[in-house]
Amino acid sequence: MKSKKSALNQGFIRCHECGCLSKQTDKYSHCRLCGNRLHTRLPHSFRRTAALLLSAFCLYIPANIFPIMTITRLGVGEPHTIIGGIIALINGNMMPIALLVLVASILVPLLKLLGLGLLLLNVHYRWQAHAKKWTIMYRIIAFVGRWSMLDIFMISILVSLVDMGGVAQVIAGPAATAFAAVVVLTMLAAKNFDPRLIWDNQYSNE
Amino acid sequence: MMPSTSLNMNKIAFTACPECDLLLKPASLSVGDKAHCPRCGYLIQRPRKQSIERTFALSLAGLILMFPANLMPLIGIRMLGGAKDGTLWSGVVALFEEHLWGVAVLVFLSSVLFPLLNVILSLLISSHLYFNKPHRHLAHWMRCLQHIDEWAMLEVYMLGIIVACVKLSSTSELKFGFGLYAFIALLIVTGMLASSLDKIQFWRQIEQLNSKNRLSDDTGLISKH
Repeated sequence: MKSKKSALNQGFIRCHECGCLSKQTDKYSHCRLCGNRLHTRLPHSFRRTAALLLSAFCLYIPANIFPIMTITRLGVGEPHTIIGGIIALINGNMMPIALLVLVASILVPLLKLLGLGLLLLNVHYRWQAHAKKWTIMYRIIAFVGRWSMLDIFMISILVSLVDMGGVAQVIAGPAATAFAAVVVLTMLAAKNFDPRLIWDNQYSNE
Repeated sequence: MMPSTSLNMNKIAFTACPECDLLLKPASLSVGDKAHCPRCGYLIQRPRKQSIERTFALSLAGLILMFPANLMPLIGIRMLGGAKDGTLWSGVVALFEEHLWGVAVLVFLSSVLFPLLNVILSLLISSHLYFNKPHRHLAHWMRCLQHIDEWAMLEVYMLGIIVACVKLSSTSELKFGFGLYAFIALLIVTGMLASSLDKIQFWRQIEQLNSKNRLSDDTGLISKH
């Protein structure tokens, strides 16, 4: 089912690290330039991506339910979830920043989870249409992932700056760990997904 | 003549697209050209002017800027009679004190350690290539650099600083420290560093250096016998 135009079909393996091509000889060979183990495709790409994605899905729920930080003002504590923080920004008439946080910490993780899920379905069911568009989608997912760390960095800054005892204090909540894990897991899932699997399934290339 | 033919014996005159595995003939590109994969559109190579020299200079500048950006206060806050300065480290320390070890480690890695390693590895590789000195770990360093790249998130941290400032601006008085200016300069330098580092050219140079090294080892062996 491999496309005729692909390097693999012509008996070549591309090294994941340095990009140089080697002739496919036996199963366990090493790249002559960088010494890395050669694999025709990323090893266990589908299974690893699926496992990482599933864990991220599970952690996405506590990340949104539990408070990500508690803001104490004059002794009164007020827990904020991710969405709560965005609503507070909207109420404070800070629309552009609210939009930025909404995109970085709600939309991007959600679309990444859905997008990677769809890519896995694509590979599993050998969808034929729009291989190029799927590849572009993968590229976008791999690129935007890191920007979700915005919320985590913001919390680390707030926690260190706003620390005036009972008068004013910001304490990070349990959702921070869950959210950080979602970001890392989805980044790892995107890294483990091999977009060449989309192209291997195309019948039109035969 | 003999050694060079034996060297090129297993050389393959093709490349493959990393994202769709299309077998391609490498084009000879000049500065300003872009090579895209004809099938999936992936940007394969974009040669840079004086890639090695620029990477060397920028990574050196980055290493110097690393110190003030890490050690000097980024922002100061004055709120209800209290005042506090924040550095890159204090965020990590504060998270540790609240027992959020996972988040603290993640913030430490992505805002301190990986950017530092990124700059150090770039400096090591580009200096060896610049002075034409082969080193047996060059390929290993290059691999590490490629993996670390994605996890160094200074630009995301900058956005975090901006959002935090906006959140605090209504209730407190903010003061920007010298560290912040160093941090912004570091951000610009690492951004330029990433765009000046032409990975394909670097790998090609490493290959040439290593094969030269191997060749001199071989002749050394022959002369000994």
